Amino acid sequence: MTVNQNELLSALVDGELQRSELDDVLLLLDTNEQARRQLQRYQRASDVLHDHNLHHHQIDLSDRISVALQDEAAFTATTVTDTSAQIIAFPTQFWKQAASLAVAASIGALAVVGVMNQPQNQLVANHQVAIVDMDARPKLAVKTSERWTVEEQEVEERLNSYLVDHNEYAGASGVFSYARVVSYDMGQ
Amino acid sequence: MNVDLELVQRVQAGDKKAFDVLILKYQQRIVHVITGFVHDPVEALDVAQEAFIKAYRAIPNFRGDSAFYTWLYRIAINTSKNHLTSRARRPPAVDVDAMDATNYHDAAELKEFETPESSLISDELKQTIHQAIQDLPEDTATAIKLRELEGMSYEEIAQVMECPIGTVRSRIFRARDAIDKQIQATMGEGE
Repeated sequence: MTVNQNELLSALVDGELQRSELDDVLLLLDTNEQARRQLQRYQRASDVLHDHNLHHHQIDLSDRISVALQDEAAFTATTVTDTSAQIIAFPTQFWKQAASLAVAASIGALAVVGVMNQPQNQLVANHQVAIVDMDARPKLAVKTSERWTVEEQEVEERLNSYLVDHNEYAGASGVFSYARVVSYDMGQ
Repeated sequence: MNVDLELVQRVQAGDKKAFDVLILKYQQRIVHVITGFVHDPVEALDVAQEAFIKAYRAIPNFRGDSAFYTWLYRIAINTSKNHLTSRARRPPAVDVDAMDATNYHDAAELKEFETPESSLISDELKQTIHQAIQDLPEDTATAIKLRELEGMSYEEIAQVMECPIGTVRSRIFRARDAIDKQIQATMGEGE
């Protein structure tokens, strides 16, 4: 055993090896029984100073554990990668969902704020309202108009009066403007 | 570089020899911890072996969130408790937090398991080591004390002692070598 080798073992006890030195130490401990015993003595002295060493005898479990692990397959990078993939699967999915939720909430908030700031009369006057007859019945005509158009005059008047009443009532009771708009759309 | 983590990563990559080094580093401490639960020294060694085997099998799951020893310590505690349960004995009522791992030796429960003979030899070993440190040159003694008693890293010691890290490493090695020789001379141990 050279001085340098013993110094490497001492640094190993302290966990102060350089990466390049670790290969040398692993090789040394694998091939040199004296180095193994030296490492254990250094480690034991350190353990005693830290009050970790209850046993006064030198213990060496490494041989029996190595024998017990002989039949165990060595791990591969795949084993570890697979495990890591399982571990990070949840956070990745979680952040995706959280990001989607945040985007949806932002769009929703923008829509609400935008509609709330829109003057009520503009909603009626500026929009080109297209009425699509889903049932292809002649009762509702497809027409570009500022207001809805119903073939029956009586029905149209009643709807208009409902709309006026509703707008007046909603404005007085403090209902948000978007609620009025929703009612308007629903009426169509 | 975190040497333990590097060794673990090598084990994860298929290097069994790296696990052998982790055993060499931590076997004394793990046996010490297990002895607190399993009084029979021979049984304690068996449980320690089982704990290391469990650790090896679980090592692909080790992500480095905690120190390797803390992780290993938890496995050792669980293995000890399982062993006691399987032997239909009552596990100790006092649970030990992993953070207290390094102080667990102070627990009163453990002291009663020490025999007078083992206690005497342990004390003698301690005295020999402390005497060896006292006999060291001042800079060497300071370096090993800062490392072992204060738990400083080489870099921190280099700052305190105002010297290069390489010098710190060399001084600590010389201290360890002197302590080792003193133990061999006093306790009759050697190669």
